[in-house]
Amino acid sequence: MRRRRMSGRRISPFWALCVAAGILVVVFVAMPAASMLAGAGAGLLGEALRQDDVRRSLVLTVSAALITTVIGFVAGVPLAYLLARKEFPGKRAVEGLIDVPIVFPHTAAGIALLTVYGRQGIAGRLLAPLGLEFTETVAGIVLAMLFVSLPFLVDGSREAFALVDERYEHVARTLGSSRFGAFARVTFPQAWRGVLAGALLMWGRGISEFGAVVILAYNPKVISVLTFERFEGFGLRAAQPPAVLIVLVAFLVFVLVRALSAPRRRRSGTEPP
Amino acid sequence: MIELSGLEVVAGGFQTGPLDLRVDDGRYVVLLGPSGAGKSLVLEAVAGVRRAAAGRAVIEGVDVVGLPPERRRVGLVFQDGLLFPHLTVAANIAFGSRGGRGGERRGEVERLAEKVGVAGLLTRRPASLSGGERQRVALARALAAHPRALLLDEPLSAVDPEAREGLQDVLRRVCRERRLPVVHVTHDRHEAFALADECAVLIDGRLHQTGRPLDVLRRPADAAVARFLGARNVMRARRDPRDHRVALLADGGSLRTADELPGEAVLVVRPEDVRLAPATPDGSLTATVTRLTLQGGHVLVRLEVPAALDALVPAAEVERLGLAVGLRVAVSVRPTDVHVLPAG
Repeated sequence: MRRRRMSGRRISPFWALCVAAGILVVVFVAMPAASMLAGAGAGLLGEALRQDDVRRSLVLTVSAALITTVIGFVAGVPLAYLLARKEFPGKRAVEGLIDVPIVFPHTAAGIALLTVYGRQGIAGRLLAPLGLEFTETVAGIVLAMLFVSLPFLVDGSREAFALVDERYEHVARTLGSSRFGAFARVTFPQAWRGVLAGALLMWGRGISEFGAVVILAYNPKVISVLTFERFEGFGLRAAQPPAVLIVLVAFLVFVLVRALSAPRRRRSGTEPP
Repeated sequence: MIELSGLEVVAGGFQTGPLDLRVDDGRYVVLLGPSGAGKSLVLEAVAGVRRAAAGRAVIEGVDVVGLPPERRRVGLVFQDGLLFPHLTVAANIAFGSRGGRGGERRGEVERLAEKVGVAGLLTRRPASLSGGERQRVALARALAAHPRALLLDEPLSAVDPEAREGLQDVLRRVCRERRLPVVHVTHDRHEAFALADECAVLIDGRLHQTGRPLDVLRRPADAAVARFLGARNVMRARRDPRDHRVALLADGGSLRTADELPGEAVLVVRPEDVRLAPATPDGSLTATVTRLTLQGGHVLVRLEVPAALDALVPAAEVERLGLAVGLRVAVSVRPTDVHVLPAG
């Protein structure tokens, strides 16, 4: 198909409208992001890294999000595979349920978690004797991050698995592979990019989480909570260094995700119909 | 040996079988039928990637119906090869090879690649191979796992016509050399006749006929098989009360048959068995040409007897007779070329 060129011809009002709207959206998104990244250049990044509480908070945030992602991987990838391969009663409901945290206001998600995992909550009381407490602890941070970010890993992995023709597994099994062997040797190697992209997205979402975390654990402070506290207590200037830092980390994650998922979108051997 | 008895497969409300089929070692059986007839379901059930609803599938004396696919030792090759895209050709072939040290395995991979004609492609990735090359690699991969039977699901459909013949030779040779029972599924009757020791015709989930290709072609078991195999002239007729070897066609005209007819019958005449000659006023069957369609080196001639009748005539013959729409011609069919089925 020949691509329509816009230059050298009269542009129709319809396309003009689309382009104008596009420019507005791009500028709207780009300005704050650029302002933060410019801040990083202007020495705010160095300033942030010299401050003890920011450094501690960064390590806490990044590692809590990492633990969250590992837990999410172990629990979410099998579920994603199940959803990609099997039909079962209530499957649509399960898929919907997985995505519910995306539409929850995150503070409400925090409240919901507190009613279940708080000291008075049913799971909270069950887990307390094992030494697992979720208020004002790292475990609480991980719990909040997990709840709001799991959909990204599950959805991303499910799509990646669904793109791999199931008949590859059939062939592998006739060649002597067990069910797990077929998954590990044939399906996962074809789907790993999508799974990893989902995991990175989950990690990034965990790092940037505020609402749910702040309800369960104001302390120890993750970087979004620290930013908020500084802004409330000391104003914009004091809040900028941690904010710049977290935006930069999030931006790096984002670039990684794009790099992983952009090329070779259709990798499985079957052509689309 | 593969022996299917009473095998039933149900998928999406569609039932295939119960099916009985026996494939001896070294025999090449083609399961032939239109798309949607349930052919692939049968293969999948034998390979174990789909559950059989009932019946037995015995391979080398063992009923494999309850076994997982990895313990059935059945090679499965799909239409599009389904080579693992993340592995090289060599790694694809070695995927299922059993036991042996690294060196032995490599040797076997090379031997198999040689046998199927892909020795020069071992380091390549599947994406860079042609359809025919992929199928050869898929075949080598299946053989490397030392299967006890080979199941091929439309293995030639995605292969260029030029590459097809070579691949057919490889398939036949492998089946014979390894003395493997082979079930090859296709909807293409030409492919079936070219390859099969035996054809099994599956239509609408039911096995209509099993037999040598020539027998199935010349003596179809029923009208559905006849039509599917390209016998375009399937006509209702009744016996002439004065001569029991003359069939009066329901739409007019008559044909002489080799054997005595039942009272009511269905006549099957292949278009290539219909002979045309210049019309003469001697009372033989005449017809009007209503359409000419070029098909390769032949022309399909639609005639009105007044019953519709199709003849497949060499292009040279069309020119010699000066066939054109509207021309009257004499039509004849050898009595031995009229296949009679009971009406029903």
